[in-house]
Amino acid sequence: MPPMLPDFSNSVKLKYVKLGYQYLVNHIITLTLVPIMLGVSIEILRLGPQEILNLWNSLHFNLVQILCSAFLIIFVATVYFMSKPRTIYLVDYACFKPPVTCRVPFATFMEHSRLILKNNPKSVEFQMRILERSGLGEETCLPPAIHYIPPKPTMEAARGEAELVIFSAMDSLFKKTGLKPKDIDILIVNCSLFSPTPSLSAMVINKYKLRSNIKSFNLSGMGCSAGLISIDLARDLLQVHPNSNAVVVSTEIITPNYYQGNERAMLLPNCLFRMGGAAILLSNRRSERRRAKYRLVHVVRTHKGADDKAYRCVFEEEDKEGKVGISLSKDLMAIAGEALKSNITTMGPLVLPASEQLLFLLTLIGRKIFNPKWKPYIPDFKQAFEHFCIHAGGRAVIDELQKNLQLSTEHVEASRMTLHRFGNTSSSSLWYELNYIESKGRMKKGDRVWQIAFGSGFKCNSAVWKCNKTIKTPIDGPWADCIDRYPVHIPEIVKL
Amino acid sequence: MATNNDNNNIVSYICKRTVVSTKPIEPGKYMTFSVLDRCMEKNHIRMVYYYQSSSTSLGEGEFGKMTKNLKETLSEMLNYYPMVTGRLVRDSEEKWKVKCNDAGVRVVEAKAKGSVEEWLKNVDSEKEHMLVYWEDMYHKPYYWSTFYVQITEFEEGGLAIGLSCFHLLADYTSATNFLKAWSDISLGNKITVLPLFHPLPSTRKRISNHHPYFELINHYKSSIERPIPIKEEKYTIISLGFSHQMVNACISKAQFNGPSGPITMTPFEALAGLFWASISNIKGLQNGLIDMSICLDARKVLGLDYGFFGNTMIYNKVHSNGNLEGNIFVQATRYIGEVVAKMDNEGIMDLIEWLEKNEMNSPKMINGPDLICVSLENVDPYLSVFQDWLKPLRVSCYIEPVLGEGQVLILPGTPEEGPLSRVVMVTLKEDEAIKLFEDDLISQFSPTIFMKC
Repeated sequence: MPPMLPDFSNSVKLKYVKLGYQYLVNHIITLTLVPIMLGVSIEILRLGPQEILNLWNSLHFNLVQILCSAFLIIFVATVYFMSKPRTIYLVDYACFKPPVTCRVPFATFMEHSRLILKNNPKSVEFQMRILERSGLGEETCLPPAIHYIPPKPTMEAARGEAELVIFSAMDSLFKKTGLKPKDIDILIVNCSLFSPTPSLSAMVINKYKLRSNIKSFNLSGMGCSAGLISIDLARDLLQVHPNSNAVVVSTEIITPNYYQGNERAMLLPNCLFRMGGAAILLSNRRSERRRAKYRLVHVVRTHKGADDKAYRCVFEEEDKEGKVGISLSKDLMAIAGEALKSNITTMGPLVLPASEQLLFLLTLIGRKIFNPKWKPYIPDFKQAFEHFCIHAGGRAVIDELQKNLQLSTEHVEASRMTLHRFGNTSSSSLWYELNYIESKGRMKKGDRVWQIAFGSGFKCNSAVWKCNKTIKTPIDGPWADCIDRYPVHIPEIVKL
Repeated sequence: MATNNDNNNIVSYICKRTVVSTKPIEPGKYMTFSVLDRCMEKNHIRMVYYYQSSSTSLGEGEFGKMTKNLKETLSEMLNYYPMVTGRLVRDSEEKWKVKCNDAGVRVVEAKAKGSVEEWLKNVDSEKEHMLVYWEDMYHKPYYWSTFYVQITEFEEGGLAIGLSCFHLLADYTSATNFLKAWSDISLGNKITVLPLFHPLPSTRKRISNHHPYFELINHYKSSIERPIPIKEEKYTIISLGFSHQMVNACISKAQFNGPSGPITMTPFEALAGLFWASISNIKGLQNGLIDMSICLDARKVLGLDYGFFGNTMIYNKVHSNGNLEGNIFVQATRYIGEVVAKMDNEGIMDLIEWLEKNEMNSPKMINGPDLICVSLENVDPYLSVFQDWLKPLRVSCYIEPVLGEGQVLILPGTPEEGPLSRVVMVTLKEDEAIKLFEDDLISQFSPTIFMKC
C-alpha cells in the first residue's frame, strides 16, 4: 500500500499546509485580481493626470453608441434579475411539545409490552434489548390511545392525536409569527401513515377557516423524509406564485400504527417512534427579509427506489397473523449509506468550497488513471456547514453518518439529544434538532445548516439553510424547560 | 336484594391504563420496608370516595372531562410518591423492597348508570366492590402495580374514586393522605401533608431496664406462630352511621367512676366496646365477651408526623375475664380503655425491638381469628376536596381479607354531622349481620343504615 498522506495526517505541519492550500484555492480570484489591480493602479499613477485626460478625449463617443450600450446594460440586468429564482425565507417554525401526561418511561413501556404480549416472552425480550440500546430517554411521549392495556387505536383516537399535534403546532406558529390564517396561500401537510378522508390538510383548513382559494396539498406514504419533500414542493410553488406565504406541517401520527403482533422486524418501530410534529412558515415576500430566521439555499433529493433491495427495505405488510406492521430489513444501514453517498455526490459541488472540490477531483482522476488503490477522498463537509441536523431515525443512523462524514461529537449532539428527549418523531425530528441548536445559542448570522433525512423508498433528502440573523437565547420552544440539562451522556446500554 | 345480573349492567369498564409521574426518577433508587410493614403482607386496603359534581347538568363534552383532569393531576401528584410508582423486587435476603423504576400506577376508567345519590341509597358491599379495582399479585411481581385507582363517572351526575393498595406499602392513614395530596394538587395548591419516607424510630439507643410490654409481644408471637386459616365462609359488610349526639350518648353511658374521678372514653373506645358487647351477644355468649383485638395507628404515639408513609397499625389483644356480671357494655369499654393506655411509646418500641430481633421469613397474618376493631379516626378523609367538587358525600373502607370472627372499622363521619359522628363498617357472617340490625344495644343509638347486607 502506498501510504503518502495518512501517516502524516495528524502532524501539525500538515494541518498548516492544508490550511494554506485551502486559503489559496478558495480565494484564488481575489489573489489573482489583487496583483492585476496593483499593476493597473501603478500604471495610472505613472501616467499622471494629464495623460489620462488625453486618453479620455481620444475615445470618440457617439450618441447612438452610448444609448445602445446603456440599453444593453439595462436589458441584461433586467433579464438577470427576472430569471433569478425567488429567495425563499423561513420566517419561523414551531415544534409540538407533547403534554407531560403522555410520558412513557422505559419501565412502563416494558410492563405494557409484557401484559399485552403475554404469550410471547421472546418478543418482549427483543423489545427490551432494542429499548436498552436505542438512545431514547425517559421523557419521550406516546399518544393517549397507546397508553391503554390493550391499546385502543381507533380512527377517532388517531384523529384526536392529529388534532392535538397539528393544532398545537399551528397555534404556536401563529403566535410566534403573528400570521393571520387568512394570509396563508399554500398549505402542505405531510403525514406518512395516517391518511383519512377528508385529508389532514382539509382538517387544518376547517379548523382555522382558511381561504377558499388556498392551494393545499397532503402528502402521505412518503416516510420520514417527507418533511424535506414538502419543503421542496413549497419552494417550487413559491417560485410560481409571487408574494405568498406557505405553511408546511410535518408530523407522524402514531396511534393507528402501533404494531400488535409478534414479528420482530416489525416490533422495532414501536420502540422508537414517538409523538411529535412541527409547523413551518415559508415566504417569498421581500418584507419578510428582515425578520426571517433562515434562507433556503439548496434542496437535493435522491431516490433509490429503482433498486429492488432499496425499495423493499422499509416495507409495510401483514405478518403471518394478518396484523399490519412496518418491516425493516437487515440491510437498512447499508442501503442508507449508499443513498447518502448518492446524495452527497450531488450536494458536494453545490456547497463545498473550491479547495475541497479540487482535492476530490484530483483524487478521482488519480484513482482512475494512476492507481485505483488510492483511498477515495471524503470531502470535509465541516468546511461547508456549521451545523448538521441528521434525522434522528435511531442510534445506528446517527452513528453511521457520524462515521461517514467524519463529524465530531458536537456536530451530532443535536441529533443525539433530540433522539433522547423526543424519540424518533419521523419527519419533524429535523425541526426539533434545529430548535436544539438555537436554544443552545449556537446559531449565528451566516451559519449554514445541513438537514439530512432518510425515508422509505428508499430516499435520502437534504436541505441547506443559511441563517439570516443571529438567534438570541432564551427562545420559546419544546426545549425551553430542559435545555439546561443537556447535553446528557447516553450510555451504550441502559440497564432496565 | 339486587341480583348479579342487575349488578353486571350498572357498572361498565371502559379501559385500563398506567399513569406515570410527570418528572423522570433518577434510576437506581430503592426503598425498604419496616418490620411493621412486613406484618401486613397478606392484606390489602380498598377505599371508595363518592362525590357529587357541582354542575348538575352534564353536557356532551363533560363526560370524560372530569376523568381527564383527574388523570393529569394524578400524574403531577405522583412526583412525590416514588415508592408508589415503583415495583416490588426481592433483596438478597429474599425480603421485599421497592425498586423506584418509575413504572406508574394502574388506572381503570368506568362508568355507571344513574346518579350517585341513587347509587348510595341502594348500595351494598358487593356493588361497592365494583367501584374499586384490584389485581392479586402476578406470578412475576416486577410487572405488578401495587396501587390501583378506579375512576367511575355516574351518567346522571357524580363520581366515585376507588383506591386499592397493597397493605405492605401503606396503611389507611397513608392511603387517605395519598388521596388528600391528589386533591390538593387538583385545586392547584401545594400538598399539605407531604409524604415522608424514612425508617421507624431506631430501637438501638434504648435503655431497657424497664419491664418490656410482654402482652403486646405475646400477641404478635402467637399470631405469627398460628397457621393462616383458610376459611370458606361468606362474609357480608354493613355500614352504620352514628350522629354526634348519639356518639356522645354512647360515651356518657360508658362512663364509669375511676379512682380519681369519672373517666371518659374516646369515641373509639365507646363504640368498640358497644360492638364488642353486641357481637358477643349475637354469637351466643350471654354473659361474656368473645376474643377481640384492637388496632390503632401509632404515629402520634411514636412521635411520627402524619405524613409518614408506611404501616404503623398495631394490633393488641383485649382480655376479658371469663363470665361477667352487670353491664357488659361498660366493662367491655373499660377493658379496651386499659389496653389502649398500655399501648404507649415504650410498649410499642418494645414490640418493634422484638420484631426486629425475631425476623420471620414467611409472611403471617397478624389480624388473626379474633374479632378485630380498628380505629381509623385519626385522619379525616372528608378533607379531600377535588377541583370543582364539594366534599365527599361518603367514604367507605375495607381492610381485606377478613378470616376470623369479624372486623369492625370505625371511621370519622361527614363533617356536617359533627366532630363526634362516626361511621362503623362491620364485617360479619351474613346471618350474624342481620341480627346486628335487630340488636337492642346498637339500635338504642338509632344508627343510620348506609349499607345493608
